[in-house]
Amino acid sequence: MRSFCRFLRKAFSAAISPRSRVSSLWLLLLAVGALWISPRAAAQETPYFVAYSHHLEEPGNLEVETYSIYGTQKGAGDFVAPWTELEYGVTAWWTTEFYIDSQTTFGDSTIFTGTRWENRFRPLMREHWINPVLYVEFENTTDADKTLKEVVGFDSQEDSAVPNSEANRSHTHELETKLILSSDYKGWNFSENFIGEKNLGHEPWEFGYALGMDRPLRLAATPQPCNFCRENFILGAEMYGGLGTVKAFTLSGTSHYVAPIAAWQLPNGVTFSISPGFGLTDTSHRFLLRWGMSYEIGGFGRKLRSLF
Amino acid sequence: MRRLVICSALLFASLAAAASASHIHTSDDRGVLAPIAKAPVRTRNWKNPFEGQPDATAAGEKLFRQHCAECHGDDARGRGRAANLRSAGVQGATPGELAWFLRNGNLPAGMPPWAGIPEQRRWQIIAYLKTLH
Repeated sequence: MRSFCRFLRKAFSAAISPRSRVSSLWLLLLAVGALWISPRAAAQETPYFVAYSHHLEEPGNLEVETYSIYGTQKGAGDFVAPWTELEYGVTAWWTTEFYIDSQTTFGDSTIFTGTRWENRFRPLMREHWINPVLYVEFENTTDADKTLKEVVGFDSQEDSAVPNSEANRSHTHELETKLILSSDYKGWNFSENFIGEKNLGHEPWEFGYALGMDRPLRLAATPQPCNFCRENFILGAEMYGGLGTVKAFTLSGTSHYVAPIAAWQLPNGVTFSISPGFGLTDTSHRFLLRWGMSYEIGGFGRKLRSLF
Repeated sequence: MRRLVICSALLFASLAAAASASHIHTSDDRGVLAPIAKAPVRTRNWKNPFEGQPDATAAGEKLFRQHCAECHGDDARGRGRAANLRSAGVQGATPGELAWFLRNGNLPAGMPPWAGIPEQRRWQIIAYLKTLH
């Protein structure tokens, strides 16, 4: 609770600075404008921030997403790490995604921390009780990256306490793989992700996990178009953490988080989501808050092709 | 490393092109489109719980415009590889077969599975589709 109040205080003081007032106004206009975008291409993806379900991007659709995470930090300033995602459905069984990461550490600096390219493949062509998806990502980031899109190995909040000037000097090239298992049952989605990450600079494999579940507040749709009806709201929760390395596969000394999620999925393809996260172990950040907005552009590939 | 990334991208692109070449517009002896007719026989008897409910049909139309019209067109007559949903090949299928197909999709031909939207909403879409013949 104290962490949340601290976040609100910092967010408020940041918001009243003249430069932030302009960007806050832009965000507000963007959010209000989102309600008037023509109703097209509503997504069926789950609103998880860390876990993945087996629902891929519809082919030809482009989803533009902007998310941020605020985290409390012991031994250094708290941080906000925004990232942007461009997610494209190449085929019905292959989704590719490009990320741009950055972060601001209070009392330190604001820096660009790298890029990531991810691909997800559905090996089975039909729905089953448990649906596997294979995930491969190449990361070109620095040690200053604080987006916490996954927690693996012995990742801890001490890693984020290193000053930006020092952490940003160390570039890492990592290969991240995931086995995504996911099921839908009576409106619920249950997802389990097993993560294996390899630093290509001769570091051992690190492992982690992410679990997610969610459900819309109302399963059947209402006949009238609406923005505020229960069918557009989704509630869920995630749990994620590290599982040690190939040399020490363990829960001991690892970080773990639990995070409820709320999402507002507008019929026009705009989704707002928020998720407060709570650290469960001494090595975890005590409090994380993720929030973001995404917009799905239906038929992007077809529209692009029609230009040439 | 860069060469590996380029080769992988080319391989995936050729796989995608090969997959997208699969044809969906063949039909079975009832005239139902082949990918829909692949539904297990037991699905033919599944009943739509929303059948004959005007509110559900209206909700189905709303959902159709949100999820389906981008590919199948506002008039549901299809475009490109997306099938004409007013055709006998689709309308000849039972609601149960359509429910199975909507849940599973036809991934090699570009039709995504719609298992991510609740079952009730899929039935509402089918209630609407059945008014289009």
